[in-house]
Amino acid sequence: MSLASLIKRLKDIMRKDIGVDGDAQRLAQIVWMVFLKVMDYKEEEAELTVDGYVPVIPEGYRWRDWAVGASARDQLTGPDLLDFVNNKLIPVLGGNPITVNGEKFIPFEKTDPRSMMVKDFMGDCVNYMKNGYLLRDVVNLFNEVEFDDSAKAHEFNDIYEQLLRGLQAAGTMGEFYTNRAITDFAISKVNPQLGGALADWAMGTGGFLISALNYMQAQVKPGDVEGQKKLQKAVRGGEAKPMPYKLGITNLLLHGIDLPNIRYGDSLAEKSLNEFRGSDLVDYCALNPPYGGVALPEDLASFPADKRSSETADLFVALAVKRLKPGGRGVIVLPDGFLFGTDNAKVEIKKYLLKECNLHTVIRLPQSCFAPYTSIATNLLFFDKGENTQEIWFYRLDIPEGYKHFSKTKPMLREHFACVDEWWDNRREIVDEKDDEAKSTTYKAKCYTIDEIEATGYSLDLCGYPVKEKVILSPEETMTQFIQKRTALDAAMDKKLEQIKALLGVK
Amino acid sequence: MESISQELRQSVLQAAIQGKLVEQRPEEGTAEDLYKQIQAEKQALIKAGKLKKEKPLLAIAEEEKPFDIPESWKWVRFLSVVNIATNLVQPTGYPDYKHIAPDNIEKGTGKLLPCKTVAEDNVASANHFFVEGQIIYSKIRPLLRKAVIAPFNGLCSADMYPLRTKLDSQYILHYLLSDAFNHQIADVMSNRVKMPKINQEEMSKVLLPLPPLTEQRRIVNRVKELMALIDNLEKIENELRALHQAFPGDMKAALLQAAMQGRLTKQLPEDGTAQDLYKEIQTEKLAMVAAGKLKKEKSLPEIDDDEKPFDIPDNWTWVRLNSVISLLSGSDLTPEKYNAQSNGIPYITGASNIDGPDLIINRWTTSPNNIAHEGDLLLTCKGTVGKTHILKEKDVHIARQIMAITPIMVDTLYVQYFIENQVEALKAKAKSMIPGIERENVLKLIFPLPPLAEQHRIVERLNLLLPLCDTMQSSL
Repeated sequence: MSLASLIKRLKDIMRKDIGVDGDAQRLAQIVWMVFLKVMDYKEEEAELTVDGYVPVIPEGYRWRDWAVGASARDQLTGPDLLDFVNNKLIPVLGGNPITVNGEKFIPFEKTDPRSMMVKDFMGDCVNYMKNGYLLRDVVNLFNEVEFDDSAKAHEFNDIYEQLLRGLQAAGTMGEFYTNRAITDFAISKVNPQLGGALADWAMGTGGFLISALNYMQAQVKPGDVEGQKKLQKAVRGGEAKPMPYKLGITNLLLHGIDLPNIRYGDSLAEKSLNEFRGSDLVDYCALNPPYGGVALPEDLASFPADKRSSETADLFVALAVKRLKPGGRGVIVLPDGFLFGTDNAKVEIKKYLLKECNLHTVIRLPQSCFAPYTSIATNLLFFDKGENTQEIWFYRLDIPEGYKHFSKTKPMLREHFACVDEWWDNRREIVDEKDDEAKSTTYKAKCYTIDEIEATGYSLDLCGYPVKEKVILSPEETMTQFIQKRTALDAAMDKKLEQIKALLGVK
Repeated sequence: MESISQELRQSVLQAAIQGKLVEQRPEEGTAEDLYKQIQAEKQALIKAGKLKKEKPLLAIAEEEKPFDIPESWKWVRFLSVVNIATNLVQPTGYPDYKHIAPDNIEKGTGKLLPCKTVAEDNVASANHFFVEGQIIYSKIRPLLRKAVIAPFNGLCSADMYPLRTKLDSQYILHYLLSDAFNHQIADVMSNRVKMPKINQEEMSKVLLPLPPLTEQRRIVNRVKELMALIDNLEKIENELRALHQAFPGDMKAALLQAAMQGRLTKQLPEDGTAQDLYKEIQTEKLAMVAAGKLKKEKSLPEIDDDEKPFDIPDNWTWVRLNSVISLLSGSDLTPEKYNAQSNGIPYITGASNIDGPDLIINRWTTSPNNIAHEGDLLLTCKGTVGKTHILKEKDVHIARQIMAITPIMVDTLYVQYFIENQVEALKAKAKSMIPGIERENVLKLIFPLPPLAEQHRIVERLNLLLPLCDTMQSSL
């Protein structure tokens, strides 16, 4: 069945249930059901292929036990289903005790990694639906999706991807989804090799990790069992927020990762920056940290004083630099604010990046590429760990011919990066055409030395869009941007006043 | 609002001439010695016939001294250490030399603006011939602080003085631009009523705080470094100012856009859909045409996906404005058709009649043609463009500068917010030479239509939020 019809039927059913109010709750409702179905499918597969495999989910609580039924008579429904889900299924799979016949016990006691993943996932899930008959209808809807055929399973992956993309378009959860064109492009340039590990510590719904898996899958020759095994360890990461965590985990399961190595928690507060070593380090990283995020006290405490920026996106830069192995390659999506920001913490973090890594390329992205979620201007920063930066190439990707801007119906596509692909291996300066000789020269692509960067006070706002189309941002973004710019300017003023004061002090 | 950069500049200059910017060094000698040396040289030149004998300058009384200066400095009469190097010549002999007039000097900064030659400026009267390194000072409207160090030889207007000195010219220039010097100038000229032009006698009263020569140079270097930093500071200040000025407007635009995208309000299933509303509106329009209340209009092209500026909720729909309103254009009345005696219905000519929520009525007509009705949204389309007003009067005749929009089953206040947001775009589209808003372009507008109940909610939210932006503006 197509995604459109799946979504429509889901919405039609859930609209009738008074407990489910709005997209966010609808999503929360869907995600654990999909997870349990996928889990069961994987466990069934393991029972067939792995000697002596026992499903971790206790009997009676597996999807095949409660969600499936040969005929309507066999299907648990109505108040019975509701009672089961609310008072048994969810609490038990969260690792909680239940009371049966006066006896209290914990059905799901196992603590192996797979069990812990289920418990982490189900621990804070909620069933919003109040009507057991409607709940049965939704469950049956998912039962119509087949996994036993890899093509069908693949189809469901696509459906899932589309679902996530649809969420971005709806504005809900948009901040946790990075357009596939961007992740595929970025991963292709990081060029992760099978056998290495790629991390995304702000995983969101897993876009970068999925792109990386697809990229490395292509390196597995047919019949190469060892290669296939390596894929299982190819990606890792972390995610702090419940909904994207669940969506990301499910996404990874759907893409064949049996036990996703994802830490459910705040990656910025995992450890003190200086303590990361050994197996904490990875060969590659790719991330799109949330913008406008405010660092919590525990985040700041994990970073050295000079790098304590109040913006989480900045802290993620430092984290990425630290956790890459020497010789490792990384990419990070950052807003313009990071590029032009010159407050102390940002400058220190930029210096750290430029000293520990070779920041070799900055690709400026058109403002509407994350539409409709946001119109904030963003950039891709590519860096290699181990040598310092001598020069940085900037390239500005312009809106393609025939597009006024990207939108839900006309999103950014992989082929829009074709010009960047061509330029990447054949780097050259590209001067913008001038419509007025009097105007100063601007560049679409240019190489700047580290000295030139230092001279600008570490502003990386180069090869920018010549005509900044006056894009109207959301009210929240307008305020965030104003505060960011004001803070940056205030900081610049303070610095200048300090310099003046210092000079006055020299008699 | 005085900026910190400007204040700092004056502050630095003041500190410079008070001897507070750099330390005094005994090995550099005293100003007393410097002064004696200068006077001795003058006397020698006078004796040798190379200099005219001057009127002795008045001694300086304690009360005259404007502020304290270091021990090693000395208060002197300005003209005792600076010479007015009068050198009037006829311009005909100097056609290719550059010509400096007050207009070629920037106020208060000591910067020379582009200047032309004597021939190009058609200089006719006698001008001073000056030499590179001399200070050119405008004695006409001296409080504009126009002074500059000549970077070349040339001619300057007789309203200016070329000044020659053995002191550091840059130090003298700083002094000429300082508050301290100019307050004295203002004082000596205070009895002047006519054209302010300072003369030599008045200038002879002005004082100068004199440092030793090497210290002058050290002061000049320090000032230069500080001014460079202050220039940087000013750039940042200007950016900040622009940022603060733009923000309330940006917020308003962001709120309006979010409103039109359905992001300020919740979509409620009980509202129904805009698609249904649209059908109802079309039915109503047909009924109005049949009843003769509405002229049948030509239909406009379907909306292309490309034309949709943003995404809207599922239960909204994009429409062309003409499909949900009727638009009345105005016509001008000849004088015999209107009166000022309140006979008939009001005749509204343009933006001058609109004062926010109130209408200023000064003309009436008994033979109206283009009649707008109570509840219509008036929009000025010529002259002062873009003003809107919701009509509270029963009937008015509108002139050509006004259009009247009658929404059909759409919240008029919602349409008003929409139109206000579109004014700039509408103005830009006008094809004719006369600036304004054209009927075609209003009708073609792509309009996000929400269900009626949600329109009301949007209006309520905007009514709450937009005034907050205004208060932000005024508090800056």
